[in-house]
Amino acid sequence: MDNKRKYVIPGDLVTTGPFRPEQNVILEGNKIISTTIGISEIYDDSVKVIPLTGKYLPKIDDLVIGKVISHTSLSWELDINSCYVGFLPAQDVFGRDFSAHADELTSKLKVGDLVAARIANFDRTRDPLVTISDRDLGKIDSGALVKISPSKVPRLIGKRGTMIQTIEMATNAAITIGQNGWVVVSCESPEGLLKAKKAIQMVNEKAHVANLTDQVKEMLESKGES
Amino acid sequence: MGGRDATMVLLDENGIRCDGRKIDEPRRIMIKAGGLKNADGSAYIEFGDNKILVGVFGPRDVHPKHMSNTDTGILRVRYHMEPFSVTERKNPAPSRREIEISKVIKEALEPAVMLEKFPRTAVDVFIEVLQADGGTRCAALTAASVALADAGIPMRDMVAAIAAGKVADTIVLDVNNEEDQAGQADMPIGYMPSLKKITLLQLDGILTPEEYKKCVSVGVEGCKIVYELQKKALHNKYFGNRDD
Amino acid sequence: MASHTVIDELKRTQILELLEQGKRVDGRALDEPREITIETNAIPKANGSARVHIGDTEVICGVKIQPDRPFPDTGDKGLFICTAELLPLSHPTVETGPPQPHVIELARVVDRGIRESHMIDVSQLVIKKDKSVIGVFADNVVVDYDGNLFDACSYAATAALLTSKTPKWDWVDDKPTLVEGEDSQLPISTIPVSVTMGKIGNHIVVDPNGDEWDIMDARVTITTDSDGNICALQKGGFDGFTQDEIIQCGETSVRVGAKIREKLKAVQQGGQ
Repeated sequence: MDNKRKYVIPGDLVTTGPFRPEQNVILEGNKIISTTIGISEIYDDSVKVIPLTGKYLPKIDDLVIGKVISHTSLSWELDINSCYVGFLPAQDVFGRDFSAHADELTSKLKVGDLVAARIANFDRTRDPLVTISDRDLGKIDSGALVKISPSKVPRLIGKRGTMIQTIEMATNAAITIGQNGWVVVSCESPEGLLKAKKAIQMVNEKAHVANLTDQVKEMLESKGES
Repeated sequence: MGGRDATMVLLDENGIRCDGRKIDEPRRIMIKAGGLKNADGSAYIEFGDNKILVGVFGPRDVHPKHMSNTDTGILRVRYHMEPFSVTERKNPAPSRREIEISKVIKEALEPAVMLEKFPRTAVDVFIEVLQADGGTRCAALTAASVALADAGIPMRDMVAAIAAGKVADTIVLDVNNEEDQAGQADMPIGYMPSLKKITLLQLDGILTPEEYKKCVSVGVEGCKIVYELQKKALHNKYFGNRDD
Repeated sequence: MASHTVIDELKRTQILELLEQGKRVDGRALDEPREITIETNAIPKANGSARVHIGDTEVICGVKIQPDRPFPDTGDKGLFICTAELLPLSHPTVETGPPQPHVIELARVVDRGIRESHMIDVSQLVIKKDKSVIGVFADNVVVDYDGNLFDACSYAATAALLTSKTPKWDWVDDKPTLVEGEDSQLPISTIPVSVTMGKIGNHIVVDPNGDEWDIMDARVTITTDSDGNICALQKGGFDGFTQDEIIQCGETSVRVGAKIREKLKAVQQGGQ
């Protein structure tokens, strides 16, 4: 790790000088101070801290895994592991000619169902609007849900997807990663499933470690006990 | 100042206090970040014989809805003592003392937490005193700050806290239970070490203006000691002892 | 407790499918409790205390022993009161404020199991008949939730009581007066052990974890004493048990309870 990167906690000085404060830092006079636990990175003219903890804050176009927690006759509410509840309107699933009288929401999605969804709209004034009407989106019928810290998602994906490809190839698992830290793993073999889950947890716990990809590879290649 | 024990020497001729400490020495402090499975962030502190557990949830939906603020997230703090935490079993219902301390701790944390990014949400801080031994509010505030950081709540700074006070006409750091009972003044201080701001301050007892000045400075120096331990606790959890 | 949590359907399906093969999600046998760890004297300032983990469920119990007034109709007996509280930091769904019915049930079931076993001989806890008796308060607080609080609180309270030291008071000048240096064990006559079983479909599992607790149809908590007799019982949940099932549960509670009692006995001996 180069000398510009530092482990920081809230209140720690990241650097001083004419830098633009980006994520998770604030400017106090000419000091740039971290607002979270993470790893600071200084670029030519900007500074940010990559967080190691924290809740998911929805961003438009993010893919998330959601869990149906309730519904009215017009919409579902999804737990998206965030500060806010995801709002899925019935029209998104039934189409434009949805009728609250004729269409029963539970015929499509019921409480407890998991869905792959996309954040369609979100701003400060309302809860995030989600959609499941696209390719690769919709109800998830098989697999197991693994929960990691949303801040570790970029690490799980890895540079250009290297980490997740490593795990998928070694275990033959299909892995869907929600930006909200919820990950669905499906795999034909129970051993592969177990190993993939273990690898994901390992990334979650050791996200700050520099040679993590090698460590994960080593674990995946090891035989026997998992 | 009831309960004064004539046989107890609060400060001997060598400047050693009733529990063997020097005047500027805090009690043994151990802080652990994390630990609870279900909370979004947590911390455990042992501060002398105080044992306090803190759990943080949020930012999350506000219930009841009318409490929510469309401009910002809100901070809620509950300081609570277990029935078995004190010598005489405590009634489990919240006392006026617990309600006041909850408010004081909340207001000590508010300058640090940045909830503008999370309108309509709440961050809940639950403080549970498992064993009390004088100075619980400072220990609780210290642990709450670690738990908030552990939860990833954006903060301008940590808040560290400790009490200074006057015992046997001397300004000392970290007044313990006996000293509080028999001593002359107790001043809990909460402090943001990077931003250099005092966010909690109370005083019981009488101080001259000079003593007052000394007391604040001893307390602030003490907060810096506590801050180093907060830092260590978070580094242990997140960076696995590997300091940079 | 977790009354508002929604278990995801994949997990529910997995639990049900495994049960059909006689297996459980966490690899346990149907009649196998999770690992139980008991740490005593966790709160040195209390007269007795214990911190119990059952899997990821964690409970702390502190015992306070102090002079009290007897109930008017039982002036020749000391007091025993056991409470339980879900701390709001134990789970995101726990609310502060007056206790919910399920928490009151929890406290009462734990209290009843210990009380009805006559674990503590309260007739020995009298300072002055009709005037002053010794009160024993066992307060449980739930710190982390992952199902089966009944047994976690019960073991915590039992372990705390088994290792409690009671001070001695004499009746002097019409009031109880502490006699220094005369601490002793509580008068213990038996070790109650509760065993909670959940019914999921047609399967009965011992010590349901949080996920199993969320999807189970009915439950029963059975407390047995050192003689292997059943001394308290509580059925809950929205389904029923067949007569055969409930007989089976009784046998299971005696058998599983006996093993757990050995753990508590070791705690008692360690504390003496």
